[in-house]
Amino acid sequence: MSLAAEAFVSQIAAAEPWPENAMLYQPLREDQILLSDCASSLAVQAYLRMLGLPVRVHCRANAEYMSPSGKVPFIHVGNQVVSELGPIVQFTRAKGHSLSDGLDDVQRAEMKAYMELVNNMLLTAELYIQWCDENTAAEITRPRYSSPYSWPLNHILAYQKQWEVRRKMNAIGWAGKSLEQVYEDVSQCCQALSQRLGTQPFFFNKQPTELDALVFGHLFTILTTRLTTDELSEKVKSYSNLLSFCRRIEQTYFESQDRDSQSGASDYSKGPSLM
Amino acid sequence: MAAPMELLCWGGDWDLPSVHTESLIVLAYAKFAGAKLTVKLVDWTWRTVTATIPQLHYEGSTVTEPTQILNFLRQNRFNADYELSAKQGADTMAYIALLEEKLQPALLHTFWVDAENYANLTRPWFASHSPFPLNFFVPGRQASVALSRILLTKAEAPLHSVAEVEGKIYSEAKECLNLLSHRLGSSHFFFGNTPTSLDAFVFGYLAPLHKASLPSAQLQQHLKQLHNLCQFCTNILKNYFSEAASGSPPTSQDAVDANLQKLTQLVNKESNLIEKMDDNLRSSPQHRPSRPHKPEAKPSSLASDRNMTPA
Repeated sequence: MSLAAEAFVSQIAAAEPWPENAMLYQPLREDQILLSDCASSLAVQAYLRMLGLPVRVHCRANAEYMSPSGKVPFIHVGNQVVSELGPIVQFTRAKGHSLSDGLDDVQRAEMKAYMELVNNMLLTAELYIQWCDENTAAEITRPRYSSPYSWPLNHILAYQKQWEVRRKMNAIGWAGKSLEQVYEDVSQCCQALSQRLGTQPFFFNKQPTELDALVFGHLFTILTTRLTTDELSEKVKSYSNLLSFCRRIEQTYFESQDRDSQSGASDYSKGPSLM
Repeated sequence: MAAPMELLCWGGDWDLPSVHTESLIVLAYAKFAGAKLTVKLVDWTWRTVTATIPQLHYEGSTVTEPTQILNFLRQNRFNADYELSAKQGADTMAYIALLEEKLQPALLHTFWVDAENYANLTRPWFASHSPFPLNFFVPGRQASVALSRILLTKAEAPLHSVAEVEGKIYSEAKECLNLLSHRLGSSHFFFGNTPTSLDAFVFGYLAPLHKASLPSAQLQQHLKQLHNLCQFCTNILKNYFSEAASGSPPTSQDAVDANLQKLTQLVNKESNLIEKMDDNLRSSPQHRPSRPHKPEAKPSSLASDRNMTPA
């Protein structure tokens, strides 16, 4: 989105309150969605739930192509479409909903830094494992990614996506890494997050921020997704405070809210639970 | 230790020990940790120009990439992060990720993709440091690596075009500079009074931007307004890289340095004032000292001197 368009959107956004019929789009939950997309989608859902903004989750096979940036998830609010966590945070702030207003400048710098750590390490590692580890790519990623399409389109799209991700890994210098090194990076990243969290309930003590939503989205998805090996989730499981952090957010923002609203399965979109 | 460690890196210019961010990171960290490196500059030979820079040679083994080299130095007892707590170590990782994700794309763009800077500054410099047939090839290859990195990490598929991402990467980089400035505050280094690997990384990213004379300099203008970051670069250059301070970091000199700093600040303020008066004179039609409005906020105006951080 260009800067002018961004300014325009936030101008319009400020004028309208959050509607009841806001929608979040993601790929098909059972057969199609991949680890990294699922993590990003869960992060956005957790963020909106922390703000108390209602959103209904819609699964579409072509969600990736519906998104304005080509990335999932995206939300459809009123007559606007916004994709990815960063822009969605800006968008809700323009509407007057924010989780990080209570932070001072130094804390905000810290929050942004840790969010980039998650994007830089966890998200990249998820992409690497999905598309660059040939076992995972052949057994899980390519079949799932191309499940809505018939031959030969399924192969074309899956290999095209794989090629794109591998080019990106080349550009950032991850192409030469071995799977072991990537697991080691994930472990280091989790250790940093675990150290930063310490014994607090959230990263900035009592109040959740967008950082908590992002970390929850990624760790919870890693913990509850079955891959060819358990190695990735084992790395996360060795940090007990991160485990209880995930459990706490799941209980506070997903289970109790779903029980309160008595709504059907369409709102409960997170997938398997940690218990 | 038997053989000295040898570091192969791009040479210096613009009052910097090296013009190359990754080389600067390693050089700064080595100074902070007290490691003696034999610096070997990329010269006019094929061997050095085709290598991955920076590159550390020690007892037959070769290490590339700043993070790997820093790890290697730590394993060899040269550790500048020894006194950091576990949480500070975590913070270091997070801020380095922030630099890589938010600042690096705009820096690559400024030096390698921006046509004016590339043609007038970067390409001539790197071409003049490469041997004859390669001087046509080395800068161009680096530029295309930089461009593809920006596009692959920041551009929105499927329309890979650099014009679309320029606005985004520059506004992200400016925000990142503001965040760093807030984080540094008024302290000497990011974690108190001794420099650590985070300081080495920030210095590596900021110093070329601070010192290069760029023809097209929107990011540089923004950095110039964040006085504590500029001061941070200047201090490291003065205390660790000037001729007099080579070797161990000065401790008794601190008082003198503080006085010097105050003096420079005073002089800077003075010159800002003078500049502002000059501007006002020039912007008024008949050199009248009346000031209807200023056409645009100059970066060096007094208003931006202290608390105001630009958006």
